[in-house]
Parts: sequence; C-alpha cells; structure tokens
Amino acid sequence: MRSEFLKKVSVLVAAGAMAACGGGDSGGGDPGGDAGGGEAPAAAQVDPATVGTISGTINFAGDSPAPTAIDMSAEADCAAGYGPDGPMSNNVIAANGRLANVFVHLTGVSGGPAPSGSVQLDQENCRYMPHVLGVQVGQNIEITNSDDLLHNINASPTENRGFNISQPRAGITSNQSFPLAEVMVPVRCDVHGWMQAYIGVVDHPYFGVSGPDGSFTIPNVPAGTYTAEAWHEAYGAMSGSVTVTAGGTATLSFDYSSDMAGAHVPLGEPLVIRHGEHGIEVHRGAQD
Amino acid sequence: MATIVAEGTGQAILEEHHPQTFLRKYMFSTDHKIIAIQFLIYTLFFLMIGGFLAIMMRYQIAWPDQTLPGGGILPESMVASGYMLPEFYNSLVTMHGSIMVFLAIMPMLVGVYANYLIPLQIGADDMAFPRLNMMSFWLMVPAGLLTLASFFVVGGAASSGWTLYAPLSARPDLSGVELGQIYWLLALVLIGLSSILGSVNYITTVINMRAPGMTWFRMPLTVWALFITAILGLLAMPVLSAAGIMLLFDQTIGTTFFLPEGGGQPLLWQHLFWFFGHPEVYILILPAMGFTSEIIAAGSRKPVFGYHAMVWAIISIAFLGFVVWGHHMFQSGMNPMLGLSFTISTLLIAVPSAIKTFNWMGTMWRGNLHFHTAMLFAVGFVAMFAIGGLSGIFMASTPVDIYIHDTYFIVAHIHYVLFGGSLFALFGAIYYWFPKMFGRMMNEKLGKVHFWLTLIFFNLVFFPMHGVGMAGMMRRIYDSSGYAHLQGIQDTNALITFAALGLYASGFLFAFNFFWSMKKGKKAEANPWNATTLEWQTPSPPMHGNWAETPVVYHGPHEFSHPDVEDKDWLAQNERPDVVSPAGGGH
Repeated sequence: MRSEFLKKVSVLVAAGAMAACGGGDSGGGDPGGDAGGGEAPAAAQVDPATVGTISGTINFAGDSPAPTAIDMSAEADCAAGYGPDGPMSNNVIAANGRLANVFVHLTGVSGGPAPSGSVQLDQENCRYMPHVLGVQVGQNIEITNSDDLLHNINASPTENRGFNISQPRAGITSNQSFPLAEVMVPVRCDVHGWMQAYIGVVDHPYFGVSGPDGSFTIPNVPAGTYTAEAWHEAYGAMSGSVTVTAGGTATLSFDYSSDMAGAHVPLGEPLVIRHGEHGIEVHRGAQD
Repeated sequence: MATIVAEGTGQAILEEHHPQTFLRKYMFSTDHKIIAIQFLIYTLFFLMIGGFLAIMMRYQIAWPDQTLPGGGILPESMVASGYMLPEFYNSLVTMHGSIMVFLAIMPMLVGVYANYLIPLQIGADDMAFPRLNMMSFWLMVPAGLLTLASFFVVGGAASSGWTLYAPLSARPDLSGVELGQIYWLLALVLIGLSSILGSVNYITTVINMRAPGMTWFRMPLTVWALFITAILGLLAMPVLSAAGIMLLFDQTIGTTFFLPEGGGQPLLWQHLFWFFGHPEVYILILPAMGFTSEIIAAGSRKPVFGYHAMVWAIISIAFLGFVVWGHHMFQSGMNPMLGLSFTISTLLIAVPSAIKTFNWMGTMWRGNLHFHTAMLFAVGFVAMFAIGGLSGIFMASTPVDIYIHDTYFIVAHIHYVLFGGSLFALFGAIYYWFPKMFGRMMNEKLGKVHFWLTLIFFNLVFFPMHGVGMAGMMRRIYDSSGYAHLQGIQDTNALITFAALGLYASGFLFAFNFFWSMKKGKKAEANPWNATTLEWQTPSPPMHGNWAETPVVYHGPHEFSHPDVEDKDWLAQNERPDVVSPAGGGH
C-alpha cells in the first residue's frame, strides 16, 4: 500500500517536474544527461562525423518452444486472416538460432535528437503489430485499429500513468505518449486475452528491436563506450558493453538460451522516494 | 358575511437595513431568497448540461455506426476519428446521472425551494444560520467546477456509473479513469458538506423560527416535506460523504476499504451507497410531493384532502426509506430471506405513496379546477409518479427484479420518478412561485405549450424503455446493435432518440419563457393565485427580511372555499378570525 502511494506521488512529482521544465515532448536537449551513467558520453545532435552504428544479433541456443494455437473462433473475421494452421502464439519467435522481438537499448544515456514523427502500433487480425516496439519519452504513438471490431488498449506501466482506451471499429486512431522512461510498458486488449504488446520507453533515440532474423541496428550513436541492455518478454534481460567509433559499425550480440525460460522479466522498476539528509531523494529499486 | 382582517401584511416595503455592494447583495448574500435564486440559476445550468449529455448518449444508442455530429471539436479521448468512444459513453452515462441527481434535481428541490419557501411559509425573516446558508451554496460552486473540469483531465470523467461501484471506481487500471474519478469524488464530498449544512439549517429554522400560531399541523405540506427531507439528508448524506472519502483514499493513498486484494469489501460500497441512495430517492421526491400538494390545492380551490394523512405519509415514507436499501442489491448474492425482508419493506412504501396519490385525486375531486401551467405540471406529476411507482413494484419483487435488473426497465422507472416525478413537480413549482421570486408572471401560453410538449415527448422517450428493457437491453450498453436479441428494438431506440431531442428542445422553450418573463413578464401581484399560505401575504418579491411585521397564524395551510367565508374562496393563514375561526389545522 505504501509503495503504491509512493509510486503515485512519484508519478505526479515527475510529471510536474517535466511540465515545469517544459519537457515531455522529446528526449533531447540535455547533452550532459543526469541518468547517473558515470562515464557514459553525452548524446548530442547528430553530427555524421562523430557517430557510428551498432549492428547486433540476438542469438538463441536450445529448443524454442513450439507455438501454440490461439482460439479466435469468437472473432471469425480475425481468424480468417491467418493461414490454414490458424493463428499461433507469437510471444517467442526463435528460428535458426536467432531470437526476435528483443528490445535493445543503451543505458546511462539521455538526450539526443528529438523524436521525429510517430511510432505506429496497429491492431490487425486481432494482434498488435509490432509485438514489441520502442519509443522515446514524449514521442507520439499512433495506435490504429485495422479490425472492424472493438479492441481496447490497456497500457499498465509502472512509472508512467496508464491508459485504457477503446477503439470500437476499423479506422480509428488514437495518440498516446509516455512522459517517463520505462522498460517495458505492457499493453493488452482485455477483449482478446491473447493480444499483448510491449513498449520500451527510453529518453534517447538509441534503441532497436530484433527482427525475425534476430538482427537489430541502432544508428547515429555518438562515439564512445556504452552499456547496452537487451530485454525479452520470456527470457528476461541481460546487458553487454559496446564501443562505438566515429563512422564505424560496432557489433554487439546477446546470447539467450532455452534454459533462461522462466527468468525474472523486469517491467520497469519502481521509483522510491524518501526523506534524506538533503531533502527528498529519489532512486530506483526496492525500498530500503 | 365574514369580516376578515389580514394581519401582519400590507405595510410599506421596508428599505434595506443598510446599503450593500453588488457583491454582497447578489453574490455573497446571506438573504435566503437570493441564495435560492443563485441555486436556481446554478441548477438550471446543470440541468441543461445533464440533458445535453443524455442527448449525446441517445445519439450513440440510436445510431452506433454513425459518426457523432460535431464530434470533431471534442478531444480525441472522447471522440476518435469521428466516433464516440465507449469510455466516453461510460463517462456520459456516469456524469449524466451524477449531475442530474447531485447538481440539478436535488439542489433544485432543496437548495432552491427549501431556501426560498421555508422562511416565507413559516413566517420567519430568514434562515436560522444565514452564513451557513451562503456557505452551502458556495460549496456547490467548486463542486460544479470540479465536475465540469473532470471531463477534460487525462483519462476523462468518472465512468463507473453514478453508483460508483467498487472495484471499478477504486482502481484506475480497471476503468481507465483516475483523475476524473478523483475530481468527482472531491465534488461529491463538497456536495455532501453543502447538503449537510443546508439540512441543519432547514431543520433548525423549522423548529425554532415558526411565526406565532404556526403550529406543526398548520405548516404547509411543502414545509413538512422539506423538513422531513432535511432530516433524511442529515442522516443519509454523511454516510455517502464518509463512503466517498473512503473511496477517495482507495484511489489516492492506497487504502483498500473496497478492494478485496487488501482485505476490503466491494459489497461494503454497495451497502454504504444504497444506505444513502434509497433515502436519496425520497430526498428527490418528497419535496416534489409537497409542491404538488400545494399547487393542486390552489388549483382545485379545495383544502388538501386528508392533510394529517398526508403528513404521516411523508413521515412513513421517510422512515421506510431507510430500511429498503437492499432492494438495489438483490443481485449481490444476498441471503434470500434478507431479500424477502427488503421486498416486504419496499412493498410497504406503496401504502403511504398510495395514500398521497389518492389524496391528490381526492383534493381535485369536484374541485373548481384551474388548469394553469403550474397545475398542469402538478397533475402531470401525479400521473407520471403513479406510473413510476407502479413500475417500482415490479422491481421490489426479487424474482422479477432478477430478470429486469440492469436493463432499460430500471432506466424507465427511475426517469418516471425523477423526471416525470421530481422534474414535473419542479417545473410546476417554478411556474407557481416564479411571480413571488421575481415579481413577474411567466407567460402562460408558452408555459402550456411547454407542458404539453414535455408530457408527450417525455412519455415517448421513457415509456418505450419499459419494453426495451424487458427485451433485454442492458442499461449502460454502448452499442446494442451487435446483439442478435436486440436487433429488433433498434427502431424503437431511434424513436426514443428523436423524442429525446424534442424533449430537450422543449426545455429551451421553458428557458426562453423563464428569462424573458424575468424582464418582460406581466407584473405580479402579491397573491396572483389567491393562495392561502404566508408567502403570498407579502409583496412579490418580498422585501429584505420578508415581513413588515411578523405574521400571526390563525388557520391551517390550505383553507380554500371555506364555507364561512363568502366574499372569496380562500382564507389566508394570517387572516384574523374576528368572526370566523375554522378549527385549527387541516381537514
């Protein structure tokens, strides 16, 4: 109960602070950053001479779980959108030793170019497309319903304010954004229990999501050495180090395995507020 | 011929005791008449808002596959791509009910007429606590602003129904509404405080400030009704206020009074809400019954039939109103024996209600009927209330209620009671006491057109809802077109919506008449209806302090067509009985 209260206060305080700073519309504008990254270099506006690219792979060892059939008989129009095998679960897509839908982002970085344009989240054949996506703090997420039936989009973040909106027919779009960084924000449709998506919200543009071949690319990263974190909904999170050189392409790989099934999957860590020597202190993690 | 001398009236209008600024006189006034008019303007505004929300709901129900006309100007959280969103519809349902009950009908019945009529009808110069009275109005202002603002905060307005059932109302992750719910709960607490302050004031005023000779059974039935209503409010509103604060705590500081995950009880909310909620129904109808008695007696030129029975019926309804709340919860899984006891206590209310209905008819029977607009609305009240009361009997019976629970049948019932009942009586009261309030008459022709349009459209809107409900249409459904068993009633839904538009439009006719008459209406005499109660024995509008000298009361409240009075058909309560002395009290 107490942590619930602290959580709510923290959201209000953070939202108020952002409003006071005029923030919330982008992740840019603070090259120095204050994310406590220590040695992490500051991100800045893109200068092609100073940035490089991270090109990475998510490896997967062991047997991937067989996809299970989803019963969409109640929504015949949606079920018709799939092949003869019908709709299958997509929480783990692993093939040829690669793992898809892993969200990779740099940690200890903040700022960087402001987001340009909206990120799309579609509901098509009773499924979120894409299943995992990343956005910057304040970046617009344009949520569209391509199905001619009612979906609700119920986002239940830990640190941001959640939302629960409905789209009763095809063609409706809604726009949402998150003012605070949070990895990850789960999104579900309460009408169709199998519909699930995850949104990674970070306060910089240095993130990517692995595709079906397990590859991902993070462009325009300022030269420097970074810690990167990978997150998967079934196999948890892991981190690695990568050094980016100006004009170069750094490689980064994460090795997941079937043994990691059931690992702890972090979904945002709560902010903890307490009264310290220098006034109110805010930190992430469990309460003391 | 009897010689009747009026006492305590006919003096020159008193000037204000001292000059007052505009702010002091009209904004922060402690004069009960000004406060009543403030409440009247306030509640008419919210009546219009609440009605508008209903029109938007009706459009969605009738044409769920159409875009909402003009919806483009609303935020995307309400209307996206031209279509009304289900959560906005839920907010409309919730806030229509909440606004109509708490910001329109209840404060209009009590805030306006208890304020205006109690001191005038008992011969007092003001309320017992004028500053508390002013405070009770000004608490309503932030409540109204919070209510309006709640539509435009993140997540929109409260959407858990006007009954605010937990856990939906307590957990934003379930309803998608957080701030809007908090705003509404804060408003509710302010409304509760306002109502409690008002109740204390009305009760104290009636007990302590009656004019000489104004015995309990010489009080007009309006005062009786408002007095008993104030007692109901004093006992019921604190329960709602406390429950609202507990719910606010569940929402904001992590308590779990109504959340099972922390050991709380969602059912506790239902008990607390309905322990308030059913007396609230009588808070919303008893004053209307009082106005109706008054208007029908004046319109029939006869004393109220069975005055004492009417008083005891009011008291009985109020008492029984506190022991029937469980009939709203037959579906909550309560013990059938408990359900039976609630069924019996509920059915018992039919007895005093029937006494009142028959007595109104008895009052009109062989009377010299004057069908002015106020009388038409009062008679309309009796007819509509009878329909609402009869449909209530269906729901009082557990087995029937289980079938029609949460369907449009209940929507029909509640509107026959609250619109056909309370609002018809309120329209009657406005037409009847308008000359006293503003010193001018409302236009009778426009008033009669307003009445007939209201009566016809009201019945076209709400009577078919009984059938729609029995066909199984759920009361808060956003789009019924997807249900095979409801396909056949879609045309009826469209008809209801057309009628609702007509009903709303007829309200503008009333609004025009109201504001036009305020400036241009025919000047009103002190007693345009030749009525007997004290407020008509002082000028229209009454001066500050109400009376040139304190009136002395000699008669019962409704002495029309008294056999010993030959030159007129009414005998004012304060007319000195030099020759005539009708037996004190009613008939």
